[in-house]
Amino acid sequence: MTATALQAKVHPAVEGGLLLEVADLSVQTASVTSITFTDPAGTALPGYVPGSHLVVQYGDGANAYSLTGSGRHPSEYTISVLRVDDGAGGSLAMHRLAVGDLVRVSHPRSAFAPVATARHHLLIAAGIGITPMLSHARAAAERDSEATLVYVYRPGQGAHVQEARELLGPALAECTDRGSFQEELTRRLTDQKLGTHLYVCGPAAFMDTVLARARELGWPQGRLHSEPFGAVELDQGEPFTVNLARSGVTLEVPAGVSLLEALENAGKGVPNMCRKGVCGECSLPVLRGAPLHRDLYLSEQEKSANTTMMCCVSRSLDQELELDL
Amino acid sequence: MSSGVIDGTAVLPERISRFPFPFPSDSYRYSTNVEPALKTVVTEAGAWGGRLLDIDEHYCHELTERDAVLTRDPTRLQVLPHMRPAVWDAISTLLPIMAAEHPDAMSFDRDGNACRWQNTLQDLDLEFTLGDDGSLPVEPLRFLGSQIQDDIALLDQREGALWLDAGLVTFAADWSFGFDVGMKFLEVHGPVPRVHQEQIITRAQQFLLRLQPGEKYRRANWTMTVDRRLDTSTETYPQWARDRATVAGDPALPDRLHLRVEVQHLIRLPHSGAVLFLVRTHLLSLSDIARVPAWRERLGRVLAELPEDMAEYKGISRYRSAASAWLLGT
Amino acid sequence: MCPIALAPAAGTGPEAGFRGVIRVSFGTAAVPAAEGSAGMAGHDVRFDAADREALASLIAVLEQARVGVRLILAGPPADVAAAAAAAAACGLLEEEVTLLANESGRRLVFCAHCRTANTTVQGVGSEVDCEGCATTLAFSGHFSRRIGGYLGFAAHAEEAA
Repeated sequence: MTATALQAKVHPAVEGGLLLEVADLSVQTASVTSITFTDPAGTALPGYVPGSHLVVQYGDGANAYSLTGSGRHPSEYTISVLRVDDGAGGSLAMHRLAVGDLVRVSHPRSAFAPVATARHHLLIAAGIGITPMLSHARAAAERDSEATLVYVYRPGQGAHVQEARELLGPALAECTDRGSFQEELTRRLTDQKLGTHLYVCGPAAFMDTVLARARELGWPQGRLHSEPFGAVELDQGEPFTVNLARSGVTLEVPAGVSLLEALENAGKGVPNMCRKGVCGECSLPVLRGAPLHRDLYLSEQEKSANTTMMCCVSRSLDQELELDL
Repeated sequence: MSSGVIDGTAVLPERISRFPFPFPSDSYRYSTNVEPALKTVVTEAGAWGGRLLDIDEHYCHELTERDAVLTRDPTRLQVLPHMRPAVWDAISTLLPIMAAEHPDAMSFDRDGNACRWQNTLQDLDLEFTLGDDGSLPVEPLRFLGSQIQDDIALLDQREGALWLDAGLVTFAADWSFGFDVGMKFLEVHGPVPRVHQEQIITRAQQFLLRLQPGEKYRRANWTMTVDRRLDTSTETYPQWARDRATVAGDPALPDRLHLRVEVQHLIRLPHSGAVLFLVRTHLLSLSDIARVPAWRERLGRVLAELPEDMAEYKGISRYRSAASAWLLGT
Repeated sequence: MCPIALAPAAGTGPEAGFRGVIRVSFGTAAVPAAEGSAGMAGHDVRFDAADREALASLIAVLEQARVGVRLILAGPPADVAAAAAAAAACGLLEEEVTLLANESGRRLVFCAHCRTANTTVQGVGSEVDCEGCATTLAFSGHFSRRIGGYLGFAAHAEEAA
């Protein structure tokens, strides 16, 4: 088996993350393979919130995959990848990994957390959407809280179905056709005790259907939680140029680097504090160009005036910005 | 350890050189003043901020005082049932940090869920199991609060908001944790003037909602306290309120009146996803502050310039002019 | 965990699995008939006050209900707040509960110093003498849904004796 070479250039989405080793590969179905990563030095990995995902770099790109463990003091991270033949190539790259390969990953990111006050977790998964549900089911077992899973899959393509049966026993309902799923769903949605929360993961159209049905049956928005698998905040921004009018210097601001960082790297650092767009310290006067405001500090009016920007998070709509620096 | 700059005739004691003087300018207004944690701040007197969990000369005294407050009033410690995992998350996150930051006095070892914690400052050598309340000598949050000087608050994130659902707060600055437990972040800060109009709390909440596991930030709060009284909670207000009225006319004002600074650390816990707030209280008398000329000037001006509604809310309006006058020598 | 419930007296609760609107009124209040219905089945309950029995009854009704249910509470602030706290403890979200408090009715002021729950019809910003420790309490808008009342604190502690 050819080993996959570690990429020389670190993708911004996994910057500051972890360098892990493929410790195990496990075929789940004809198109789904599980990949287990460990720390090459054998150290325990950072714990994570159930339902978290990991961003994994492949070549020049990066994809997000749900972690299937509970997140409590993990010694390994396991994901399951559905091979998509006509996608951007990420899943194909994952399927080419071999034991021993080194991979760059982000720290786990939480975007699909269980509600701590829920009296019951109703988990609804279709296809590869099963992966974060395994995490939720494991965590519920560890915390002695109630979880039920409705798992929809095409016959013969139920990844992790045996694992789900072992984890949940009678709390697992399996559906292999749309009709029986609709019935099961309606039955479940009309018979949940107060305090139940619903979590759904799967293809976008599937989730839309489930959520719409839940709303029809009176479920308030606060009880409905979804995570479209594969989605990731990879918005590192477009590169742009900045012209510092008073010093006559022009700087490039690449994707994944903030304007503040670019200024600091060029020895032109400015006052700053939070570096997250909330405190207002790093404001800069804008002479020309339209900033892309991403801060939480400026008012709508101040943003549309385009005479100030928060350089720690904001970028540019135009190819070039001119600042009074 | 070095104590800081020479003050004319002598080196400043650590209580001054390590004090987190909170004013970057001669006037003070509320802001969302969060910054990444662990950055050392150099001041006119010395430096502070390089550690997450600070231990100073008051360590044993403050922990004894915390224990006494809790014994008198158990409502200062509350853990709503769904927060028990977050308490254990805080323990397994903070004890290793304490050990790493104070290796001469503390050590922490972990094998799976089996832990060993040693704290020579308390003659403590303890083995316990994560998640097993019975394996600790007292309930978990009380145990954690017996090892660090900080007050502890844990916020649960749900329904797009943060809920103050657990905590151990024995050194509250004029609020009641026992009353506030169960409230949302925005509601806890409800009584603070100006902040809502200027959206400061909303921004702070949005910042916290986006905090990722492992991230650590901090900010500072300030007020004033008469004498080195740590428990200035609403519960005990009748006991300490009178001093606010009388201290302005007391010749011992410079020794009795203290600047009270809270260094708050904000951490997203890895497994529970709860937001951990650590509140570390520092008290320094006006006499001590006056030994640093830059601080003397600055605090004097801040107190003189502070708008009346802010002074009222901070509870300092009865004496801030007297304090300012003394500091500025007017 | 839902607080301990007593079985409701026969005829006071909706059927098991109820997912409509439960309208609860305390004292002489009445929930406007059209409130919250919008095609959902409705069920009305009336109590004199939100005392221990009434709350236990309410909880028993909620235990029989299912997600989809909505709750409307009408009456004096103290009773509405107590019922809302019980509903939250049963797992209801704020968006599932509508509060119609009659502002001229009694509200709770919780003494920070002795923890007595005092009742007053005065509005926010007034003073009330604590029945537990005789302290004159001031209370502003600081309100706890969990406790169902306002925070009262010594109004004149800083003044000359």
